[in-house]
Amino acid sequence: MNDLSVHFEGVSKKYPHFSLDNIHLELPAGSIMGFIGANGAGKSTTIRILMGLVHQDTGSVRVLGHTMPAAQAAAKLDIGFVSEDMRLYCPATLAWHMKFMRPIYPRWDQKYAEELARRFDLKLEQKIKGLSHGQRVKAALLLALARRPRLLVLDEPTTGLDPVARMEVLSELMAVLADEDRTILFSSHNTLDVEQISDQITFIDRGKIIDSDDKEAFLDRWRRLRLVLPADGVVPRLPGVVAVGGSGRLPVLTTNRFDPAMVSVCTDQGATVQAVDTMTLEEIFVANVHSRRERLTA
Amino acid sequence: MNSSMVKSLILKDWYFQRTAILLALAGGVVSLGIIAFGGQPGFTLGLILLVTIMVMISAMSVMGNVLGERENQTLAFAMSLPISYLEYTTSKILGNLLIFVPFWLIMVAGCVSLIVAGPTIHGFFAFAIIMAVEMLLSTCLLIAVALVTESKGWSISAMVAGNLALNVVGYLVAHIPGIQRGLFGTKIYWNLTATVLVVIEFALIALLLGGAFFIQSRKKDFI
Repeated sequence: MNDLSVHFEGVSKKYPHFSLDNIHLELPAGSIMGFIGANGAGKSTTIRILMGLVHQDTGSVRVLGHTMPAAQAAAKLDIGFVSEDMRLYCPATLAWHMKFMRPIYPRWDQKYAEELARRFDLKLEQKIKGLSHGQRVKAALLLALARRPRLLVLDEPTTGLDPVARMEVLSELMAVLADEDRTILFSSHNTLDVEQISDQITFIDRGKIIDSDDKEAFLDRWRRLRLVLPADGVVPRLPGVVAVGGSGRLPVLTTNRFDPAMVSVCTDQGATVQAVDTMTLEEIFVANVHSRRERLTA
Repeated sequence: MNSSMVKSLILKDWYFQRTAILLALAGGVVSLGIIAFGGQPGFTLGLILLVTIMVMISAMSVMGNVLGERENQTLAFAMSLPISYLEYTTSKILGNLLIFVPFWLIMVAGCVSLIVAGPTIHGFFAFAIIMAVEMLLSTCLLIAVALVTESKGWSISAMVAGNLALNVVGYLVAHIPGIQRGLFGTKIYWNLTATVLVVIEFALIALLLGGAFFIQSRKKDFI
């Protein structure tokens, strides 16, 4: 329990047209979690509850050992937060923001802030209103990182960026993350972004956590099996099959519990395994969401 | 209460309102000059100008510091700092009052000095004090409504209501026998009626700001 940076237990929040339902979430210290969900899935609500900006109706939230939302001020001293809808003060410069934040955070690292400004190609005396969207995101990241937070919470930081700016932000983010151990929660609907920096993945859909695991475990246990069935053959019964696609004698099985032994099981049941395809995180996410939604509507 | 954090937020708000504060101070000094040296027409004109500047500085401060945070999407940044929402509320109430009240005190002191030192308008003293506190009350109404509703529409309504109330209260106060009696006299006039009215105004200010704190403390969604 003590080495969990974030611990949600049975957290619910009800709005007139949306509910966050019974969220259990554990983020061990030192890990980087990608928090993936479609638009409106509940990522931002979950993160706002984590930050104490929205109060949960039920359940408990502990962040860095602090009970939220009651101890949010103490918790936020150790959290760096950047969200897609966060803006800095337009009439002020980045240097003003740094000067403003320096006395607030005891671990504020001015040298590191200046180094990040160089790395991010940001001019300290330029007003925020003169920065591009990509530069503003980098400026917000700089201000979050220079406080040397124990927990970094990034809520869709790359949303709205053009592909070049997105890659720049991500590559620079990865470079600074390589500097030291940090606990990070990175939310996005873009699985490619999340895949690049995360070691843990959590999927959320329609207000519910639908799956959570190590990234490698996800990539290892999800497979697509392309089969050829004999003329009167039936689709083999395999564990963890979440979708059966293809057609007729050429079914495509998607499983979330792949085991190499499945190939021989298929062969034993008369099917020919044409291919065992690995799946991208995006394919895994989409298959996961579809199978859950189908189960709910069934 | 993290007072150093509250202080940082207040200083930040002052920094962003510094031009408006300086312009209002300059305008206020010009108004006092018109009141002092403009004769009877100058007294009326200067007073209207002074009231207009007070309304403007309270509106600009609240619109910029309270509603602007949400409109410009800087609220998420402010709330990512190590503060609770009550500390944020405290900083907004104190910050806006500390922008308005010093200006208000200087202008009221200047205005009262001119009334006291002027040749014929001494009787205006009690009325001026009551109306000055009424202006402070209007500003507190605007701060409370802006904080609680976070809505431009409601805040503008509160501003309009405050300004209308200024006229209505002015008319009513001027017609209260206890005030009317000395209004146009040549002596400084203060009585129990004036004291009661000022106490009621300060009680309403306390009620508005206390109410804003209470409602803010019960809010569950801040962004």
